[in-house]
Amino acid sequence: MSRRHELRTLLRGALRPPENDSAFLLDVHRRAVPQERMARYDDSFSVDLLIVGAGAGGGTLAQRLARRGWKVVVLESGPFWDPDEDWVSDEAGSHRLYWTEPRVIGGTDPVELGKNNSGHGVGGSMVHYAGYCPRFHPSDFEVRTRDGVGEDWPISYYDLRPHYERLELELPVSGEYWPWGDPHRYPHTPHPIAGGADAARAGARQLGIEMRVGPVGITNGAFGNRPHCIYRGYCLQGCKVNAKASPLVTHIPDAIEHGAEIRADCMVTRVEIDESSGRVTGVRYIHDGTERFQRADAVAVAGYSIETPRLLLNSTSRRFPHGLANDNDQVGRCVMVQGAPQVSGRFPDEMRMYKAPPPEICSEQFYETDERRGFARGFAIQTVGPLPIEHAQHVLGHGHWGAALREYMRDYNHWYTLGILSELLPLPENRVTVAADFTDQNGVPVARMDYSQCENDRKNIAYAKQTLHNIFAAAGAQDVLVTERYAHLVGGCRMGSDPERSVVDADHRAWSVPNLFIADGSVMPTQGSANPALTIMALASRLAERLALKRTGGASATRRPRRLRRGPRPAPSPVDAG
Amino acid sequence: MPPRDFRSAEHLPNLRPDQQPASPDELPRQRNGVTPQMHGRYPDYNVLDEADHWDEVTRRTVFERVESTPSLRFFTREEAATLGIFCDLVMAQDREPKIPVLNMVDAKLFAGQLDGFRYAEMPDDRETWRRLAIGLDAAARQHGAGDFAGASGDVQMRVVDALAKGELHGEVWDEMPPSITWKVVSRAILSAFYSHPWAWNEIGFGGPAYPRGFARLGVGQRESWEGAPAFERDPVKDTEQRGDEGPARP
Ligand SMILES: Cc1cc2nc3c(=O)[nH]c(=O)nc-3n(C[C@H](O)[C@H](O)[C@H](O)COP(=O)(O)OP(=O)(O)OC[C@H]3O[C@@H](n4cnc5c(N)ncnc54)[C@H](O)[C@@H]3O)c2cc1C
Ligand code: SF4
Repeated sequence: MSRRHELRTLLRGALRPPENDSAFLLDVHRRAVPQERMARYDDSFSVDLLIVGAGAGGGTLAQRLARRGWKVVVLESGPFWDPDEDWVSDEAGSHRLYWTEPRVIGGTDPVELGKNNSGHGVGGSMVHYAGYCPRFHPSDFEVRTRDGVGEDWPISYYDLRPHYERLELELPVSGEYWPWGDPHRYPHTPHPIAGGADAARAGARQLGIEMRVGPVGITNGAFGNRPHCIYRGYCLQGCKVNAKASPLVTHIPDAIEHGAEIRADCMVTRVEIDESSGRVTGVRYIHDGTERFQRADAVAVAGYSIETPRLLLNSTSRRFPHGLANDNDQVGRCVMVQGAPQVSGRFPDEMRMYKAPPPEICSEQFYETDERRGFARGFAIQTVGPLPIEHAQHVLGHGHWGAALREYMRDYNHWYTLGILSELLPLPENRVTVAADFTDQNGVPVARMDYSQCENDRKNIAYAKQTLHNIFAAAGAQDVLVTERYAHLVGGCRMGSDPERSVVDADHRAWSVPNLFIADGSVMPTQGSANPALTIMALASRLAERLALKRTGGASATRRPRRLRRGPRPAPSPVDAG
Repeated sequence: MPPRDFRSAEHLPNLRPDQQPASPDELPRQRNGVTPQMHGRYPDYNVLDEADHWDEVTRRTVFERVESTPSLRFFTREEAATLGIFCDLVMAQDREPKIPVLNMVDAKLFAGQLDGFRYAEMPDDRETWRRLAIGLDAAARQHGAGDFAGASGDVQMRVVDALAKGELHGEVWDEMPPSITWKVVSRAILSAFYSHPWAWNEIGFGGPAYPRGFARLGVGQRESWEGAPAFERDPVKDTEQRGDEGPARP
């Protein structure tokens, strides 16, 4: 271990993140983000950067550039949440956290959206994400070269590494030493785990499967004015404590402090361009039922992998009759989800899996390709801790209803659940389009998402499910219940080095519009089997750095595909080999 | 009857020859608070006793579910007659006290509180529920009954089972895939039923936990206020001693 690592270990929990005071700007006595000092920009003032969406990507980008003195406005369609008043410690009562405007789903393996999908309001989907914050592996950025599937990224892991490290301090991330991918430590010590996770870990160990505690974006110990986690298990319902990281508490306060305006309840309906120059001039949005237009020198869209393509596809013009930046029919394509089947195991003792944060332990031992398994790429294993409604859906998914369902549910306290994240491959036919004949309350066509699995996907999911069965058998489970799910939607406007096969370049700039950027999970060419939020934030952080170096504008824009420096390829770690 | 030992899993449907549980009437009757049909796996645990430890917003949200049964505003009387029976079968609610599942679903549909997605081959969720009512009648007629509500219990069960397996055909079901219909409506039913504190009493769920949190996370541990399962007391002796009624009978 390097000196730097040793020092970081010694200072665990005591390191204050550089250039981000968010945790210290929060109020000790209430959970809401102080907004009294927030700047307000006039619609007619052309801001340096307008960001659509205050989620993982948008929130991070806003903070970074506000720090650099940029005049930034973020338009967010949902509310500016007050955790004390708006959120409840209750499953069904959290419905308003989700994106509930209509969408259509199709394909042979349709992906159910709603509560298991994207969020709404300042903080974005991270308001109700579980809290897992793993990094991608170096291999994720070159799967085409290594494994002959998917697509290579135009950047490498080493372009993101400094941003991962910085974000892990900002969230902050807690967990055990991480032996997989690029091995690293976490700034906060691991959280205690509940009995069920202990049992699952023991079962896994018997099979030679290593599971580690974390990595989660949940403070261990107080962090600035964010208190310690109280292990109440409602992370997917929004953290009323402010212990769990989301841009709402990790980046928005600092962005506001440095002059950014976060304008909530503003639904962007169109990105406008100047037909002669082909440059973006600003966006149309609806606030309180009235349409308004905000001028901007540059626009970054960060509305999530469904709303981002939808907004571009709906922004048609003479120059872009098929949607903004969609000259090559790439917008909306290669949208991806991870296969996320769950297996529950029954134990003689009570496990009460509703306690402790759902993200507890994780294994990335099966992350990389192993030819003996008969498919390319791999999967991760994680704990999920479903609350009663979610668990009831699991029981019903297994095929039980009526008296059998009730009996299983009366047994809830004896169960523990593990989930899979299978890396499914990017396929061009999996895409977001707009449904011409179906509009939302503003008269804007809604998104339609089609999804079908390929053979490699099915093999991956089947193998992963069997692995969970084996773990529960080894752990001594008396009965198991299995259900099929998906998780984590990314892609749809991918970055690349070829305009024919991507929407943006390595600097997130639309190939055909010099002052349009995409700054959310849509830009991902592949998804690995890691949860995406930390990587989305790291990408936005890197984008901010690139923008700050160049400012925006056609003059300095290089439009040629660029070869980027690649870091050294690390030797595979011993645990990877399993 | 000897107390049941829940360390063993013999009571679970997957492990029983007919995949069906024993009658829940073998459990003690709920003694503190209410569970649906008063089955008492945690007979002395009433999550509502803990309400003083919840934050105000959550308390309001949860108590509204217990204190007011929304009147039916979305479904017609005829639809409600059919769908009420359907919801009771899906949740095995064969007698009072019942969680008013259909009323809770009705309130959501009436308010247009939908879940944010719709299968391409399906109508709007509201329309799906209405067509379900028509489709249940159609399926019951295929079994020789006049309609679903008037059919025998056996026919009703068979119709629901066929819906769950995606095996209904004809009329509505040729246009609206039964397997997806089942996904859509069961999602709403389960969200209603397991959001109700009576169901939390039945399953021994700790309920809202802010600002108190949980401290005892280990195997076999529970907070001082969390309910003990029935097997730790002999239900027969226990009810006798307390002078309560014996196990509920249909
Ligand atoms: C149940 C669940 C659990 C999850 N768990 C994890 C986890 O443990 N770890 C992890 O890494 N990831 C997890 N995720 C995924 C993660 O939350 C998302 O991938 C991530 O937040 C996406 O970031 P984003 O910037 O692309 O979009 P978001 O964070 O969703 O932000 C987009 C924002 O844009 C706004 N918006 C959209 N369209 C418009 C418009 N037209 N005008 C104005 N505003 C608009 C939206 O309201 C939203 O606030 C989970 C997700 C869910 C649903
Ligand atoms: S378990 Fe911890 S992080 Fe999760 S919601 Fe509760 S307090 Fe927040």
